[in-house]
Amino acid sequence: MQSSFKHVKITGISTAIPKKEINIYDEAQYYGNSIKKIDRMRKMVGFYKRRVVEEGTTASDLGICAAKHLLNGMNINLREIDALVYVVQKPDYEAPATAFYIHNKLGLPDTVPAFDINMGCAGFVYGMWTVSQMIESKTCKRILLICADTPTLDVDLADRNVAPIFGDGGSAILAEYSKDEIFSFYNIETKSSGYYAIIDPAKGHRLNLQIRNTKDFNLILKYKDKKLQTPDGRETTFFHPYLNGIEVFDFTISVVPQNIKKLLDYANLKDTDIEALCLHQANKQIIQAIGNAAGFPEDKVPYHAFENFGNNTMCSIPTTICSILKEKTEKSCVKILGSGFGNGLTCASCILTLDNIYNSGIVDYQLSEKTMSKEEYIEYWIKKIKGE
Amino acid sequence: MKKTDFLVELEDILQREEPCREEDALEDYEEWDSLSKMAVMAYYDKNFNVKISLQDFQEIKTVNDLITLAGDKIE
Repeated sequence: MQSSFKHVKITGISTAIPKKEINIYDEAQYYGNSIKKIDRMRKMVGFYKRRVVEEGTTASDLGICAAKHLLNGMNINLREIDALVYVVQKPDYEAPATAFYIHNKLGLPDTVPAFDINMGCAGFVYGMWTVSQMIESKTCKRILLICADTPTLDVDLADRNVAPIFGDGGSAILAEYSKDEIFSFYNIETKSSGYYAIIDPAKGHRLNLQIRNTKDFNLILKYKDKKLQTPDGRETTFFHPYLNGIEVFDFTISVVPQNIKKLLDYANLKDTDIEALCLHQANKQIIQAIGNAAGFPEDKVPYHAFENFGNNTMCSIPTTICSILKEKTEKSCVKILGSGFGNGLTCASCILTLDNIYNSGIVDYQLSEKTMSKEEYIEYWIKKIKGE
Repeated sequence: MKKTDFLVELEDILQREEPCREEDALEDYEEWDSLSKMAVMAYYDKNFNVKISLQDFQEIKTVNDLITLAGDKIE
């Protein structure tokens, strides 16, 4: 689906990234202590550094950190915000929506609606598309959009095709109504025949494993350590996220470049009008393949964010904007083409005009000393349940 | 592209240190993993305008099979 808006502008952006960094050269034990093997991975897929959360941090913690930097940096009064939209695939709780928790922590007024959008790597574009409709219709004047994810909490460190890909992050974006015309364009596609290609089959209510149910608990014990060999020689378990790399790659190189080209046609723009093709930072190999197939020169298709922070899913386009595009977006007016693609399978691309926006850059997130251990968390809730 | 040039290119695509030969079975290469398959897909798309499908990988057993897939793009 293609759509455009002419009165929605991004006025500010901020991205919070955990301070803890892992460098792939410090993980030589997983490569038989062979630096040559690591060099091969670095060259082929861009594995290098990634930033990961420490236990106890949730995606919303990163999102709140980014939102606070954004609102303080722009000196925004909370009463001037009309809605909060949170894009997430790892909510703090199954219910209620994590947007309510964020609403509370930021101290937003009761008059402000808040809701979650469950979306993966295309989440930033879906989030912008949603808030743009709310603004263009004049329902809202100013919306706080937050995207955050912690994919590293679910991966097996020993899975060398998956673990070095991911990083964690949280981004906050302020979108506002603009009296002056400022165009944005969207092209969103869904290939649901590949819904199973990136999936967490052990989680959710399809299987509905209940830890308090003895039968279910025994199933967990039976399968939790059962090693499974994938056709490409990786070792995994049923309880780890499933990712069919080749199938996803096939989707990305056949669908994403065409989606981008169609968007440019729809917007009546050329690649020369675009400052940067900000692709979802899946990995260097995928970024380069899409950039090339979409007809963009290599220097306009950054993969800096992947090499330095890892693939932080729906935050990866904002991470690029907050890192290598910080100065350009702060001091000039540039058009960027963002394209997010991933679980669904879906591809969502947008052309945005970033005109002298507030850009906090990358903010380091540090674990709060008040963070509870898992046991402290359980004890906290036991007291609450008992009314103590 | 000449076959000999492609064999050198393939060495680079797979980031392999040993030379590639037409008759080699790809399964014997330590480097023939999903990353290499993706790199081959991207290379064929970019340089030969040939889309390799997932189905194709079931059939590709040797370096020669890869060469055949490029049609007249590799002489």
